[in-house]
Amino acid sequence: MDSVIKACIVYFVLWAIIRISGRRTLGEMSAFDFILFLIIGGSTQRAITGEDYSLTNALILVSTFVVIEIVLSLLDLRSPVLRRVFEGTPTVLVENGHPMTHRLRWARVTEDNVLEAARRLHGLIRMEQIKFAILESTGKISIVPERADDKAEG
Amino acid sequence: MDEFASRQYPVQEHMVFQRRTWIIQRAGWFVLAAVCLAALTGLLGGGILSNRALEGAAMTIEYERFERATRLAQFGFHFAPTDNTERRLHLSRSFQDKFEITSIQPPPLRSLATLGGLELIFAVAPSVKNQVTIWARPHGYGSVAIASHVDNNPPSNFRVFIYP
Repeated sequence: MDSVIKACIVYFVLWAIIRISGRRTLGEMSAFDFILFLIIGGSTQRAITGEDYSLTNALILVSTFVVIEIVLSLLDLRSPVLRRVFEGTPTVLVENGHPMTHRLRWARVTEDNVLEAARRLHGLIRMEQIKFAILESTGKISIVPERADDKAEG
Repeated sequence: MDEFASRQYPVQEHMVFQRRTWIIQRAGWFVLAAVCLAALTGLLGGGILSNRALEGAAMTIEYERFERATRLAQFGFHFAPTDNTERRLHLSRSFQDKFEITSIQPPPLRSLATLGGLELIFAVAPSVKNQVTIWARPHGYGSVAIASHVDNNPPSNFRVFIYP
């Protein structure tokens, strides 16, 4: 029983901390962020398992995590509000080549981050070449180039 | 168009929800910072606000008010000088219930399970201050009231809070 409760607490505490840290942290992970996440995983792993390294305990923990994931995905399907809570929503950061400064600040994304995504994804180098930049719920920045969008509309 | 108005194109936005999320995020940063601050000051164990010394005529007990489950806890018992060459340290049953002793320095001559808890008998040098240190691993959570006395002196009572 202890293992199931611990696993549930750790799952939701970690989920809350990741959500608090913001989407940028998740989507645009640097090598150091990756190491940091490994350390977080290691720190919580010992708290969950304690001194019980048995196969049964491992089975209980894995089952608990998978069950939580399944229950949450079912709730996601049924409720758009819960889906927004658990997964977040996309946010437009650049509209018709104009960076939305307040949104960028709140989302902790710089214009340089947007331009970097534009270069990487479409080879764009100027803000005016971007029709839309969208911060996705996954934390990644999507770019819709000005020309491509015009063509699509045409 | 207002920056904080929801767009329907190119994606469906929910800016009211998004702004609330951002505000909650910022509140969450303060909570995380508070956890770090509490850890630095010892409110979560192992720091200035946690260290305590309970002074009595016969014995001073050094302990931490806040302990964490499975983290090794240290209790220091400083005996006032007497002519005795043996001292009997008594620890209440609550200590036995919530702490698993891993090491005692110096090792006791013998130990007894008594009605009220645990009694440890130490060989000591007479007329000088003596110190006994017990390392114990807490198990279980919550507040524990511990009573301890040396020889037939009145007990010293203290509380330790064990975090999960």
